[in-house]
Amino acid sequence: MTGLGAHLPLGAVVIHQHGGTCQADNGTFCFGWAADNFHRYTTPLLNHLFIVVLAVVIGFVIAFSMALISHGRGWLIPAFTGTTGVLYTIPSLAFIFLLLPITGLGWTTAIIVLSVYTLQIIYRNTVAGLANVPVDSKDAGRGMGMTDRQLLWRVELPLALPEIIAGLRIATVSTVAIASLMVFANVNTLGSPLYQQITFKTNILIAGGLMIIMAFVFDSLLLLAQRLLAPWRRQSRRMAT
Amino acid sequence: MIAPVGSLEVEAGHQAASVSYRDVTKRYPGQTEPAINHLSLDVPAGDICVLVGPSGCGKTTAMRMANRTVEITDGDILIGDTSVRDRDATELRREMGYVIQQTGLFPHRTIAENIATVPNLLGWDKDKTRRRVRELFDVISLDAELGDRFPSQLSGGQQQRIGVARALAADPPVMLMDEPFGAIDPINRERLQNEFLRLQAEIRKTVLFVTHDIDEAIKMGDRVAILKQGGHLVQYATPAELLMAPADDFVEDFVGADRALKRLALMRVRDINLWEAPLAYVGQPTAEVRAKLNGAEVPHALVVDSERRPLGWLSDADLRGDTVPQKPDTGPEPVLDADDIMRDALADLLQTETQYAPVTDAQGHIAGVLSVEIISEFLVSPEAKVEEHAAAERPLGE
Repeated sequence: MTGLGAHLPLGAVVIHQHGGTCQADNGTFCFGWAADNFHRYTTPLLNHLFIVVLAVVIGFVIAFSMALISHGRGWLIPAFTGTTGVLYTIPSLAFIFLLLPITGLGWTTAIIVLSVYTLQIIYRNTVAGLANVPVDSKDAGRGMGMTDRQLLWRVELPLALPEIIAGLRIATVSTVAIASLMVFANVNTLGSPLYQQITFKTNILIAGGLMIIMAFVFDSLLLLAQRLLAPWRRQSRRMAT
Repeated sequence: MIAPVGSLEVEAGHQAASVSYRDVTKRYPGQTEPAINHLSLDVPAGDICVLVGPSGCGKTTAMRMANRTVEITDGDILIGDTSVRDRDATELRREMGYVIQQTGLFPHRTIAENIATVPNLLGWDKDKTRRRVRELFDVISLDAELGDRFPSQLSGGQQQRIGVARALAADPPVMLMDEPFGAIDPINRERLQNEFLRLQAEIRKTVLFVTHDIDEAIKMGDRVAILKQGGHLVQYATPAELLMAPADDFVEDFVGADRALKRLALMRVRDINLWEAPLAYVGQPTAEVRAKLNGAEVPHALVVDSERRPLGWLSDADLRGDTVPQKPDTGPEPVLDADDIMRDALADLLQTETQYAPVTDAQGHIAGVLSVEIISEFLVSPEAKVEEHAAAERPLGE
């Protein structure tokens, strides 16, 4: 047990050996311990939520702007896809350490890393969504006298919306996971309790469980948003069956 | 029932405008041959001009230059008196109805929203737009309840009707239609074509209509422009002229070997020289009728009443009687109308396997007799050209 502690980055906190036998035996899930200690997860949970939302919003604003800039400038698409792709391949820990000399430990580094990881997925999906807009719809819109801007906001983006939201869903779920690593940037996300007591099953189940629930809730909310914002998709599917 | 379009809802419904191509050339960069080569043609206001030709002949390009979705390289297109080059492209397009083959309906907008596209672009107030949308459902004979649906919930034919309604929404003086019925099955296509012709008779828009189907061109067009590869205008004429006097081998090939039959579709029974049958009035002594039969064009006597309405053909048995009977052995069927389309008249003759059919005028009086022989002689005789020319000069609608 102490041997494992050596792997922990911020100094492992050895499990307190007080209390009942459940945590002493490291039982599968110690309800009593969980009930007594749940407050310890509140701050990491809120931090986790906050950092995921902020990172995805920032990533979306950047990636969406990039997609709009490269829309109609096809030659930019490979450059943007390449750049975001290379950034995506940097291992998370390496990325944090690369930023340390510039932004130091803390929220800034964590948010930069998480935002950058969302760029590739959101950008690619937005570009694909715009590319998949039926040619006839664009032709009709232009032929009826829409300006490029009107065509973009009234026809192309609404039709690309399901794919854009699909990108957001993947980006959000993966950000929930990667955010746990931000403990290495000294940000108190759900990763902190997780890595502090990495061998204590009850702790792992609570911290891990909260992340899974968070990912599931985000994903469901985005799916709901897609249903509400793109009702024509559902209607046509109903007709097709 | 088709409701009039130019009603109060649309302020000062736009008059149709003439469209005039002046020596128009389209060159794409990097291509040696122009896509459209010195195209000149005039479309009078309120006419349907069909641009037809094989794929790659530039017909769609030619049409698209009118609303500048394709820019003109050289020459000019005038709508009324105004050059399209002097107009702001988006403003110009909002004044031209635009219908394309796959409808181009916006899948994410309801039917009513789709129809309201151009009114919304023009900034009409909501009430006026809503009234206009409701009115257009009447125009295209569709239930206004469809307005809340999405395009994918409609059949192809319904979608295409909505496409036409959307193009008509702001009552544009000119309509551009790019193979509008091309993706519809043959039965519905014919229905949509007929509907559109009926509608056009009321709204009298100037229409540029692109198709690759010569039959559709002949049916829909007041005038037909035949284009060939490289955007050369080979012939620009009325459908009848086109069938009668193809400008060259290309047009003759394109129009097809059955152009004689197609000509019949453009003619009416009254356009041909009918034969005269000896008439037998009810109660007339048969001796007089027998005398008339000698050397008559039609070797049978047609029994008519005192109003000269056909009652039937006199048989040999009838002729052996003293006077012409009220009810001859053979009925007059089929009785054709002088206004019938010649092709339909021929079909009637062939279907009933009759040699001669009486033709009546609008009052039901006998006007002459038509036979398969007359039609076939007409089609091969040199004077047919003259006859047909006269027929071509007259608008078919009269």
